[in-house]
Amino acid sequence: MTEIDLIADPHAKMGFFTDVTLCIGCKACEVACKHWNELPADGYAMSGNSYDNTNRLSSETWRHVAFVEQMDRVNPLDSRWMMMSDVCKHCTNAGCLEACPTGAIVRNEFDDVYVQPDICNGCGYCVPSCPFGVVAVSHDTGLAQKCTLCYDRQKDGMEPACAKACPTDSILFGPIEQLKATATARLEKLNAQGKNVRIYGLGEDMGAVGDLNAFFMIPDRPEVFNLPPRPVLPSTFQRTAYTSAFIASMALGVIAWNVMAAKD
Amino acid sequence: MQIDFTYGEGKHGAAYGGAAGPSSVSPDAVAASMAKGDGGFGREQTSYFEHPVVRKAHWGWEIVWYFYLGGLMNGSGLLSSLADTIGSSEDAALIRNGRYVGLVLAGASGALLIKDLGRPDRFYYMLRIFKLKSPMSVGVYALALFSGAIGLAVLDQLHRDRVLPVNLGGFVPKLVQNLLVALGAGVTASYTGVLICATAIPFWYNGRKHIPAIFVCSAAATSCAFNSALLSLTGGSAETIQKLEKIEILASLAEAALLLDFQMRSKEHGAPLFTGATGKKLKTFTLGLGIIAPVLINLPALFGKRGTAKHHRLKTLLAAGLTLVGGYMMRQTIMDAGKTSADDARATLRAPE
Repeated sequence: MTEIDLIADPHAKMGFFTDVTLCIGCKACEVACKHWNELPADGYAMSGNSYDNTNRLSSETWRHVAFVEQMDRVNPLDSRWMMMSDVCKHCTNAGCLEACPTGAIVRNEFDDVYVQPDICNGCGYCVPSCPFGVVAVSHDTGLAQKCTLCYDRQKDGMEPACAKACPTDSILFGPIEQLKATATARLEKLNAQGKNVRIYGLGEDMGAVGDLNAFFMIPDRPEVFNLPPRPVLPSTFQRTAYTSAFIASMALGVIAWNVMAAKD
Repeated sequence: MQIDFTYGEGKHGAAYGGAAGPSSVSPDAVAASMAKGDGGFGREQTSYFEHPVVRKAHWGWEIVWYFYLGGLMNGSGLLSSLADTIGSSEDAALIRNGRYVGLVLAGASGALLIKDLGRPDRFYYMLRIFKLKSPMSVGVYALALFSGAIGLAVLDQLHRDRVLPVNLGGFVPKLVQNLLVALGAGVTASYTGVLICATAIPFWYNGRKHIPAIFVCSAAATSCAFNSALLSLTGGSAETIQKLEKIEILASLAEAALLLDFQMRSKEHGAPLFTGATGKKLKTFTLGLGIIAPVLINLPALFGKRGTAKHHRLKTLLAAGLTLVGGYMMRQTIMDAGKTSADDARATLRAPE
């Protein structure tokens, strides 16, 4: 497959399609991301979990390659070692964006979720509001940080650093519609070969979160890659929670009114 | 060419098999794992190395104390505005205490919230926009409303206490002032529960029917306890203390009922709060010492008739102290349970209940 060309239309919805079946675990995306975005290193701690010493996305790791080992003891030739380059999903209905009280988190002209570093005051409410555990507050800057989908590069007509660095085109960047077409074609091709792959991030399973602007092709269940099978959108819980508080407030208000006004 | 794939049993030993070497995995487990498509690990690959899926809130002691003091603040403000509107003459001390306590705690709450920010110098960015969809934004404006309203009430109080010669806030009618205090208190007390329940943390969002109401009940109970202790220490009226103890009992009983209902209805997702060390803490300090004990101590107040109130300072202080500790432990355990739940990958990957 060839790299998707950047199209002339500057306002197309842009996203990532990350294909686990093509990833070779070289971590060029992690390195390129750190270089371009000037993010500090993660230290030299060894996790002992396959070749993965980054463990998960963080405020300073915006691409993370997961190494899933599946050693088949009965049919060793069916053993699998899957690599998945995880990234911010840039949700259609983003929990972080809805939770942000300062308006620092916005949806930019490329339809991607972007944290404005000059507006964020580090309240951290976006952190538990992300159903994928992506955004985090940095100890260095005190700001919420996550993948910007290389907003700065996109504005100059360049593709994001990770996609540029990916040697196998496991990471594809481009207009969402074009990526969806590519993904569907590849899904059909692989399933015709009996590979049993699926697309994560599009369709009904995403519920209120909606389609993800960064979606994935995965050869196993989402849980294996720590992807929630049915991600939640925190704002959908507000109605019940407010109702609960409102009923309690009203009941206690009536009690307090009656007791305080007691005159016999 | 014959390749030796007998990991763990061949010449390479268990090193190639990793943690789940054949010696630790029964053939049945391997077969069951294969049937599930887990690649014969002999363990269910239900998450990626058990790494947490969602991130816990970074909130530390500042926010636990804010939840706690915020409850005291709202209750005190609301009690003072209620007493000022419909109370009797002996409630004057409650009005005064409630207003001053409300203002002091509003200042403390603001300070705690600002300290907790990653960039405290940017705290006023919270006021750039108003966003109904963000409980954090709603809370900031509710706290601002309460602070302003209680400020006006304190100006009125300073005038009554003959500190200020004129009531500087007198341009706002008294009823409007009291209504604003009540509204600010109600919204500020209500939003904290919503704040933690409207997140992606499984324990918190699964508790969305109970946690906000529990927070409100605890705010009422602890603020009644605090103000009755304050009145008891400053020689306030026994009638007012009896009123406060009545409200406290009813709020505490409602809180206990909600906690028990929460436990009965919650399945696996309630485990972080109701089991283990956290569960023990909740049952001992909140349910036992924080609710049952003070309710029993105060029970005579519930049936006390007006004009017959007798006040035992020791009993009042003991009951109030226990309720205050119980209220704090409730916030602490719910916060801890949220963190335990966020770190539990399997809890997050389970379907929402």
